[in-house]
Parts: sequence; C-alpha cells; structure tokens
Amino acid sequence: MRLITTILFLFIVVVSCIAWVNHAKPPKTTPLNFIIPKGWPQPVYDFKNNPLTKEGFELGRKLFYDYRLSKDSSISCGSCHQQFAAFATYDHNVSHGYNNSQTTRNAPALFNLAWTKNFMADGGINHLDLQPIAPITAPNEMAESLEGIIKKIQRDTAYKRMFTKAFGSSLINTQRIMKALSQFMLMLVSSNSKYDKVMRGEASFILPEQLGYDIFKKKCISCHTEPMFTDYSYRNIGMPVDPYLNDYGRMAITNNKEDSLKFRVPSLRNIAYSAPYGHDGRFFSLTNVFEHYRSKAIDGPTTDSLFKHKMPLSNFEIGQLTAFLYTLTDTTFLKDKRFAEPGTENTISTFIHIH
Amino acid sequence: MTIKTTLFNKKIKQLILLIIVVCIGVLNTMAQTQNTIQFIHKVGVDTLQLQQEYTNSFDEKFSINRFKYYVSNIQINNQNVNEFVNKYYLIDEADSSTKTISFSTHFNEITSISFVLGVDSIKNVSGVQTGVLDPINGMFWTWNSGYIMAKLEGVSTSAKVAGNLFSHHVGGYKWNENTVRKITLSIPKINQQKQQNLAINVDVLKWFQSAHSIQISSHPICHSTGNLAMQIADNYATMFSISTP
Repeated sequence: MRLITTILFLFIVVVSCIAWVNHAKPPKTTPLNFIIPKGWPQPVYDFKNNPLTKEGFELGRKLFYDYRLSKDSSISCGSCHQQFAAFATYDHNVSHGYNNSQTTRNAPALFNLAWTKNFMADGGINHLDLQPIAPITAPNEMAESLEGIIKKIQRDTAYKRMFTKAFGSSLINTQRIMKALSQFMLMLVSSNSKYDKVMRGEASFILPEQLGYDIFKKKCISCHTEPMFTDYSYRNIGMPVDPYLNDYGRMAITNNKEDSLKFRVPSLRNIAYSAPYGHDGRFFSLTNVFEHYRSKAIDGPTTDSLFKHKMPLSNFEIGQLTAFLYTLTDTTFLKDKRFAEPGTENTISTFIHIH
Repeated sequence: MTIKTTLFNKKIKQLILLIIVVCIGVLNTMAQTQNTIQFIHKVGVDTLQLQQEYTNSFDEKFSINRFKYYVSNIQINNQNVNEFVNKYYLIDEADSSTKTISFSTHFNEITSISFVLGVDSIKNVSGVQTGVLDPINGMFWTWNSGYIMAKLEGVSTSAKVAGNLFSHHVGGYKWNENTVRKITLSIPKINQQKQQNLAINVDVLKWFQSAHSIQISSHPICHSTGNLAMQIADNYATMFSISTP
C-alpha cells in the first residue's frame, strides 16, 4: 500500500513541477484605476491588452523623461512635451531635434489620449502604443534606433528592476517600452478645468465666460465638440501651404486629393498654455487664430465649407470667446506631481504667458 | 497474506496502467507531424545571389542587396480538410535560417497549401507587436502605421536616383490600398510522399514583370502605400511555385 502511495505521490510531484515550470509567475503589481470623467464617452484604448499598473506607469514616466531615448542623449519625450505647456513645446512653432534639426510640425499638447484613435496632425499613426516610435526614430527628432535605446537602457540596473516589477521579467523589448510609455500617457487626463467644474455644477461662469460659451456653441462647437473639444476629424481651415514645409497633411496618409491640406482638429483644452497654434505653429497667439478665421482664410478646393466665406467674428465676440477659452485651463493637470519629471515634483511651476 | 499480496499487485498494475494511459494521452496530443517549407529564392532559373548582376525582362541590369517579406496565415489542406498555422514568419534572403520555416500539423498528406504574403490588417491595427512583428525589424512604417509586407532593394544603372539604389518597400492594409496577397499552391501528386518538407521557388523576376510591368527606370522608388505598391503586390503574388525535383 505504501508503494502505491509513493508512486502516486511522486507522479503528482513530477506533474506539478512540470506545470509550475511551464507557467511563469505573473508579476505582483498594483492596479491603477483609470477614471472616466462623468459624462465622457468610453475610451477607445483597449486597456485589456495593457492593464494599467503603478509599476508600469512609473516605468513609463521614467522612459518619458529619459534623455537616452535620443541618439546623443540630449532630448527626451518631455523635452518637447512640457508639462507646464500642457505637454506641448512652450513658445516654439516647431521643436528642436537632433543636431540642430527642426521638426516640421508644432508639438501637440498631450492629454486625454485614451480617447484618441489616431495620432499626429495627419492621423497617420493608428495606435498609441506605436506613436512614440515615430519621434524616437525620426532623423529630425530624437534620431535614435529601437536597438539603440534598448541597448542603452539594458545597461541601467534601475531599469532591469523596473521592467521586472512591471512585466514579471527583466526582458526589455520594443513592446514593453511602448506599453509602459502608453501607461504613463494614458494617465494624462485633463478634466478639471473651470469649464468642467461649471458642467459639474461646482462653479459658475462669470458674464464674459458665459457670453463666450454661447458664441462658442454657435460658431465653434461643430468641430471642437464637447467634452473633448475636438471631433477628431481632418479639415482644411483655409491655411495656405507653407512653401518651406510643403506639408499637405492628411493627403500623405490617404493618397486622396480631397484630403489635401487637411489637418486634425485639435482639442482646445488648456489652450491658454499651449501656444503657438496651428499644425505648424504659425499662429503666435489666439489673436492670430481669430484673425485668420475672420480675414485671412483662403478658399481653396478642399477648404471646409464652414470657412468658404471666412468666419465673421466681431472684436466683441473675440473678447468673449477668449474669456471662455481660458476656462479650459486645468491647473490641477498642469501641476500634477504624478506627471512631473522624476525628482522635480517639488519645483514644478506653471508659466504665465497671456498674449 | 496471499490474497492481500495479490490484491496489492493488482492495484499496482492498475495504477501503472493508469499512468501509462495518461502519458499516452498527453503524448498523443503532441504527436503531430513536423512540416517544413523551404523558400528557394531565384532569378529566373538561377539561384539568387546577393550583389550579383542579373537582367530583368526589360533588359535592365540589376543586383539585389536586400530581399525580405512576411509569410503568415499558412493553411495546410488535405483534400477538403484544412489546418491553420497561426504564426508569422519574416523571410530574409540574407539570413538562411529564416528561409526554412517549420510548424506542426496533424496531416500525413498535403494536397495544397495557401499562405498570405504580408501581415493581415488585424495585426496592422493592434498596436505594438513582438517577435518577427517587432517594429525593430525595419519592416514597419512609423509615420503611417503599417507593416512593410515585402521589400526589395538593390543597385541598377537604370535607377536614376542617388547611388543607383532602387528601393521597393511595399505596404498598405486598408481596403483601397491593400497589398496583402493570398497565395495558393497545389502540391503535384508525385510529391505527396514527401509533403512534410516542401520546397517553394520564389522568382524575383516576377516582382518586375507579371500582371504589371514595373520597370526600374520608371519606378526606382516605392516607399508608400498606393497604386504602385498594389501593382508590385499583384506581381509578387505570382513569384511562388512548388519546386519539383
């Protein structure tokens, strides 16, 4: 009887050992709660394929601010996506790239990316996890290769620890780097502006803001749809092509002439902090944008029907609209220590630059 | 005592039998046929050698530096029964280990095979992948997301561009610019004894001339989605044929 028990016992031990070896232990991670603000649509990002964890977020944050992601370790994601500028480049029409090069477009502000389906002003990139590869490898941006960054960060023992914590092993590959960066970027939710507070019934507009909101709902809202303040469409707002950039926007992605000079409608959230404006940053201030709409828009073959005859705006309307647009500033977001460069949490500041 | 021992022995026998049955069961699910496909790259009748000069049907002299393509969604057919291999392969002329691919099926006899040249649209829209689909392999467009299904690069005096370097990167997965091509090859009867190790000839000359005429002089560069990419795709879909000894 004892023999039977022994054989059975050994068999079970061997089987369980095989099962244990074949089944890698999942990492012990702390889940991060992604909160959908009240009244907002469901995010388009599929969190099932990249569940948010504190460890993944912190790894993504370190990567986002790591200068080694560029060829000569001079530029990080955070260099051109600055928190105090709502993660756009402060005061630059285009951004600086490797070896005195320049980008060809205005760095977009980064927030509410879980609701964004396609990325870039031309919508060429179809997934948040793929987005960072473009600036990292572009010769006029960070000019580095994926092999290059993997090699550099593999040498850093802190990273080995962080990858193990976030993903269960110290393996560093493209997918893990991108998923960690996504985790950081997904958490950049801006939903606490005065506008949001008014909508939640926690605050009220002063008169110019309310008048501005009424004008906004009449003249702007069809493209800058609430609550994201963009409908994510591509439109030609009558900006003539820049002869040095020759950027025809969406057409380069779709090969369709009808998409010539169309660019993605940007969100207006945090607009007071994300100047300059326009896909190539040609508008120095909000005044220039309004001036374009009311007197400079060009009626070309693909100009949006809304701007066929420009857009009449009185000085009064511009003043009230500006007051309303300033209510879209979310200082909680601009100063959120969780999103700051590691080590600079206590020196975080917001620039005041009202043009 | 005797009765007890007999009972004991009987129980041991039953137990051993049980273990054997379990093991056979486990092994049986693993008892699959290992299949291999060897891709033999050719220029017409010659075996392709990188950097060697050849002539295409337009009398254009050319040599090849790089020839890479994805093979996926392999389907093995035995009469009317088929089995699907859910794997992606990146075939690279410069790396002979990639030119023979292996996978297992339950079939002892294969009557036809089909596969996709390229990467299906689902993988093109599902974010960052790993393994052969890792963008690190240089078969991915970063500014207009999508895989390069196949690339052919080389030198030709007919290519009036810098360094005479012609470069065809073919990609596009959306309906109006689709370069994913399904290739179906039936296995000739004489080969059915050796179906476990298929050899497929891949004739690079078809890249330039098949359904469409793609002269290097008129099209030295293809680096985006669109009509040219789709025409090359129509051509490369005809490169493959079963190699018969």
